[in-house]
Amino acid sequence: MVSYQHPSELNALQQYRQAAAILRGTSRAVNDNWYKPAIDLDFQLHIRDDGESVKSWTFHAPTSTWAPGPDFGTDGPTPENIPTIAADIVAAARKAGCNALGVIIHVADEFATTELKPELDNPGALAELRETIITDPQAILDDSSLSPTDHSWRLLPYPAAGSETIATIVTLTRRLEAIVSAFRDFGTSKNFPIRTLTLSEPVLGLITLAELRTEPLARPILAVLPYPRFTILAFFNEHGDLRLIRSLQHRGQRRPTNLRHAAATTAAALEFSAPEIHILPFGGAMDPQLKTDLSQVFENASIFVADWNNSPFAVPQFPGISPEIVAATRLKTEIDTPLATSHTFATLRTEGWATQDFLPLAPHLAEVFPSRAEMKLLHSSRYLKFALAILVFAIVTWSAFGVLDMIRKPEWTFEASEASTVAARLAELGKEKSRIEHWDNLLEDRSKAWASMEMLARLFPNNSGFLVRAFNHTATPDPAAGQARLGFVKVWTITGLAEESSMERLNTLNTREGISAVFAEVARITGNQAFRTDLPSRSITISIRTSENPGYRPKPPEEIVPGDESSFPYAFEISIKQRFEGDDPLAITVSAAP
Amino acid sequence: MNLYRTPIALFGFVLPVFITAALAGAALIVKSRIEASFNGKLSHFQGYEQNRIQALAREAENGKKRDHYKTWETLLSKETASNVGSTLAVIEDKMPSKEFQVTTRDFPANRAGFASVSAQNSGQVHLAFRATFRTMQAAFLELETRMPHLQLQELRIDPSANSNSLNFDVYYTAWEP
Repeated sequence: MVSYQHPSELNALQQYRQAAAILRGTSRAVNDNWYKPAIDLDFQLHIRDDGESVKSWTFHAPTSTWAPGPDFGTDGPTPENIPTIAADIVAAARKAGCNALGVIIHVADEFATTELKPELDNPGALAELRETIITDPQAILDDSSLSPTDHSWRLLPYPAAGSETIATIVTLTRRLEAIVSAFRDFGTSKNFPIRTLTLSEPVLGLITLAELRTEPLARPILAVLPYPRFTILAFFNEHGDLRLIRSLQHRGQRRPTNLRHAAATTAAALEFSAPEIHILPFGGAMDPQLKTDLSQVFENASIFVADWNNSPFAVPQFPGISPEIVAATRLKTEIDTPLATSHTFATLRTEGWATQDFLPLAPHLAEVFPSRAEMKLLHSSRYLKFALAILVFAIVTWSAFGVLDMIRKPEWTFEASEASTVAARLAELGKEKSRIEHWDNLLEDRSKAWASMEMLARLFPNNSGFLVRAFNHTATPDPAAGQARLGFVKVWTITGLAEESSMERLNTLNTREGISAVFAEVARITGNQAFRTDLPSRSITISIRTSENPGYRPKPPEEIVPGDESSFPYAFEISIKQRFEGDDPLAITVSAAP
Repeated sequence: MNLYRTPIALFGFVLPVFITAALAGAALIVKSRIEASFNGKLSHFQGYEQNRIQALAREAENGKKRDHYKTWETLLSKETASNVGSTLAVIEDKMPSKEFQVTTRDFPANRAGFASVSAQNSGQVHLAFRATFRTMQAAFLELETRMPHLQLQELRIDPSANSNSLNFDVYYTAWEP
């Protein structure tokens, strides 16, 4: 079996590792039965030791089925034979489909009471005292002569009004502690929850009275519980609340020799006159003299002896099962008898006073294992870690694929030097392009003599009735500061003579449309783009001034000689101005060649 | 009891969350840095690709004009005066001598016309001819075709007093490298 250390001996990391080891090595995280009371488990082993014999029964809660338990023989249960016995019981539990075992040990061979320190007699402190009696019994025991090493104590409250004390203290020895530990250790070693409960059977036996007595309450009650080694006297007031419980040792007799005296004096002290007496013979065959003794003391009292065979605690198949064992399995059963509603019986049943564990796992041993909440927390942390691992894996994978995707692209292996090489090449080509464009611009056909002469020929075709006397053409730039390209102005000045019939032609030319048509024809014939007038960056104007030819001499047509100026009646002067703006394709680049 | 609660909370929840955050953060940071590096390379690569495509396009564009440009360079490399002289000589040889005569050929030192507004090197050419109209037009076509860097600044045509020819007086700006 794995040995675990108390967490106080470990640092935080070691504590976590130990908790994780417990999580991995046990079913504590998934089997809640590790943390349930033995009395609540589906499969239970009840062991009853009344000093004369040790008997056991198994109980399957889902089917309410009882069965004989293991035979402990003449030696009774010992730490040595527990593993073998526990193995059989665990196998039976597993066979019954149960994953836990509750071992309830009914201690019926000893019962003793002691008193609280008088100064602690405060009803409001009952809950706190219930805790203190477990953790520090010496602090509240009036008699501190008994050693906690050998004894265990539990409170039994006296709820009745007018009680002299708030509770008494039931004492059991720890002689069964090794047995109980052996059961628990076996369960731990087999990773099978074995929960134990060691209870004082007389205390548990008291609650059977609540179901046995169904009449309305009217008188005080004296409950007598005879056991082989002692007899319990429990005194309840007329409201059914416990006033006093005491035990009378048999000291080798079948019944206590001082029964009559003790019963009478205690009843008198409690001012119980003619109480209702109930004998609850849990120890098997009852001494017939017991009833006689009591009737002698309480002459007018009604004495009832419990008939277990006709009670709710009877198990027909196994008549030998003690009623209080059956009572342990009926704690959750609703009872509506008058006595059951009394404060005493209500608290005994519902607050667990009747089933207090006298030999629980020592705190320092219990603390070795994480609590139920801690196991749940630890178990859920595994899911969290799994989810986080998936999250990390997803993020890392996503990142890795993203990186791989980038690395596999040609851009990843691209060297910056290649970019600079191409950039340099592009810059070189840019310069070359600039040079080409520069010279392309300067060498444009923006001003050509032959084209201007063609325009002159188109203006005045042969034998058209005109005589051109002078032609003057200039092309001058149009300076504008800060411009990269400059426009220019071309001016044609033509003087000459015209016949009468040619004046219509002059009139036609003396319009923008007329001169533009001539320019367009020149552009089309010569291919010289400078004569185009359909660009928005160009404008053209024409002015024609005509006058009479002072040298004109009218002559018959047959006397006119070609080129004879006196034969033309009119003189004319044409001025054509064509302006090219700075954004014209033929505008001049101002800068020098790059 | 509950002695394990703190270590479980610490090592079962806080530490895994912290480690997860650290690992996820590291992965994202590494990816982010690689991505930043990649984006830088991508930017260079895209610039490179853009430049490469532009260079190819420009190379094709320049290639179409490169032969012309070399021709221009050859032409421009010649000294203007001698170039004009040799070209006119060629033209004179082609034209009938009675219809085409070069009467003036000089090269003024001033910067006029287009040359006055351009930073480009240039020279001035002044020519005068006595020629018939169509012959002179053909001569001009020949001259201006062979020497496209001549930009006409002024052209005057007057009748010749002693013949049927015309007097042509012309000024050019000749671009020089």
